[in-house]
Amino acid sequence: MANPYLVVEHLTKVYERGQVLALRDLSFAVEKGEFLVVIGLSGSGKSTLLRCINRLIEPTRGRIWLDGVDLTRLSQARMRRVRRRIGMIFQQFNLVDRSTAIGNVLTGRLGYLPGWRALLGWFPKEDREKALANLERVGLRDKAYVRVDQLSGGQRQRVGIARALMQEPEILLADEPVSALDPATSHSIMQYLEQMNRQDGATVIASLHFLSLARRYGTRIIALKDGQLVFDGLPTAIDNAKFKEIYGEDAEEVEVR
Amino acid sequence: MSGDNAAIVGSAVGDRLAVLSRRAFSFLLDWMTWGYVAYCVMYLLNHYWYTVHVDWWGTLTLPSWGWSVVVLATLELAVWSRSLGRSLGQRAIGVALQDAAGGRITAGRRLVRILLWHVSVPLFAAGFWRGGDPWHDRVAGMGLRPVSPDPERPGRRALATQWGIVALFLGVLTLWVGWLIIGINFQILARRAAQTGRIWGEMLRPDFRYFTTPDPVFSLRALSYSILDLAVVTVFMALTATILGSVIAFPLSFVGARNVMGFSPSGWAAYGIVRGFFNVFRSIETIIWGSIFAVWVGYGTTLAGILALTVHTIAALGKLYSEQVEGVSPGPLEAVWAAGGSRVQVVRHAVIPQVLPSFWAFTLYRWDINVRMSTVIALVGGGGIGDMLFYYKNQGDWPKVGAVVIVIVAIVWAMDYISGRLRERIA
Repeated sequence: MANPYLVVEHLTKVYERGQVLALRDLSFAVEKGEFLVVIGLSGSGKSTLLRCINRLIEPTRGRIWLDGVDLTRLSQARMRRVRRRIGMIFQQFNLVDRSTAIGNVLTGRLGYLPGWRALLGWFPKEDREKALANLERVGLRDKAYVRVDQLSGGQRQRVGIARALMQEPEILLADEPVSALDPATSHSIMQYLEQMNRQDGATVIASLHFLSLARRYGTRIIALKDGQLVFDGLPTAIDNAKFKEIYGEDAEEVEVR
Repeated sequence: MSGDNAAIVGSAVGDRLAVLSRRAFSFLLDWMTWGYVAYCVMYLLNHYWYTVHVDWWGTLTLPSWGWSVVVLATLELAVWSRSLGRSLGQRAIGVALQDAAGGRITAGRRLVRILLWHVSVPLFAAGFWRGGDPWHDRVAGMGLRPVSPDPERPGRRALATQWGIVALFLGVLTLWVGWLIIGINFQILARRAAQTGRIWGEMLRPDFRYFTTPDPVFSLRALSYSILDLAVVTVFMALTATILGSVIAFPLSFVGARNVMGFSPSGWAAYGIVRGFFNVFRSIETIIWGSIFAVWVGYGTTLAGILALTVHTIAALGKLYSEQVEGVSPGPLEAVWAAGGSRVQVVRHAVIPQVLPSFWAFTLYRWDINVRMSTVIALVGGGGIGDMLFYYKNQGDWPKVGAVVIVIVAIVWAMDYISGRLRERIA
């Protein structure tokens, strides 16, 4: 068997102040084309894990191999080049509120732009066309020149998805992409992620709050508790006992339909 | 103040030092408060009943043994007030003396603590280094503990009243002594009103003879100027200084922002240098810069005025800009990093779009300030319309002074209005 696409080995993150152990010796592998869902309570280390993969947060110990390259050993400049292939979607959308939708979408292209062009904000014509095409794809073509603070939560997240699409990502990290949204909008956003996974062949790693969403969209689930891996397997393998182990004895499952 | 806390975080010695320095700071505050009260009392005693000599500017002159008496007496007062639980310093760091078991602390035990303090503290907080409270606290069975922030805590109201009384006492004392020290005489305002009346009368009949025609008597470097000429010069001085200043402050402000520079040693160094520059140059007023540049490039030249305004503008705007940059929401920055952007790209595409509107508002506000400053910078040789103002004033030509003042008021009012409207539009 060939090496898996993404391998996380003994990943540990200790925050300097207060000596909080955010991640404890995590190891798992992801095959190309998987839709991996990370579940766990708030503060269990989901966000830290995702940000360690593209090194927005520096891991304390452990290795991360992407396509046979050890990301933890890369210089900042090399890492920037790798990040171009890693799309990211955020819980709070992370858009510049005062910019237009297309302005935000274009920033997804920054990694490919030479320094002086980026400084002036001159994006090539192809990029602009691509940005419009991607906005079209998420159904926001008519909102391209609207400031994003005028958009609703779901529309903002779709701008975020269009921004990630600009990178033509091989791997997509989604940090609780739907926890700021209502159930109906959540499904529409998750379907865009599914589409990127199935059609564009992007490997997706998404952290989610709701187990029902995880079961519906994930091809595999891992669960974190206090920074430790407590489950790794198929969505169907999570039964009631496993659920209680992950979320604590008092937890009740809530469905999102 | 709690020993358990120290066990969890960091090195024990470092923490004990931190706790000790907090205690020392709060003690110093008490000591200084009593010192201040002693000074005020001494001043009042001297003023009303001559007992101790105080110079007219308020310096105490005591016999050689007097200072040690004052120092020791205030020290003693500080110890007593702290032990009796009436301490501003303890309040400042949010602690109070509490019984180990939570019971009432009797006056006797407080007295014991006062006595033991004199043994323990000269030995450099004896017992403290073993961890926990110093020896005098432990023997007296009490310690400094964080005060509960609970607003419903019993006795809080009474405590608030007590602190109110202390604050009122200190306030009244300060006002009383301050009044005596600066020695204001308001009677002079009324007595001299008649003499000033003539000047007021002349200024209210302004002489606009040289509004557009140059005044041959008032000339700089063989050129004579009219009021309007210099009014235009003044407005452009302010404009040039604002543009130059903001253009220089703009790039510097990103270097002076913590969130942009990161936490590498070189980042810290650049940040520290730029922030230090802002703080030092901002604390030197425009008028002082004006007098420096007047010596440098020539007294009464507009260049001196422009340079003075520019330097202060760079520092003042730089600081305001930097604080805006530090206040941006971090989300978009993270997004650009994640897309493979460089530091410059993060600034250009995530920071600047967020801060630009407030940058404009600050710049307009600064222009407003610069117009006002440029009318008086001539006082120290900075050129502009102020030159004319002070020239006529020295000549005692009050009708012309009146004309210049009216023009200055018109300029400042107009600029105020314009920049206010523009700022409204941006916000």
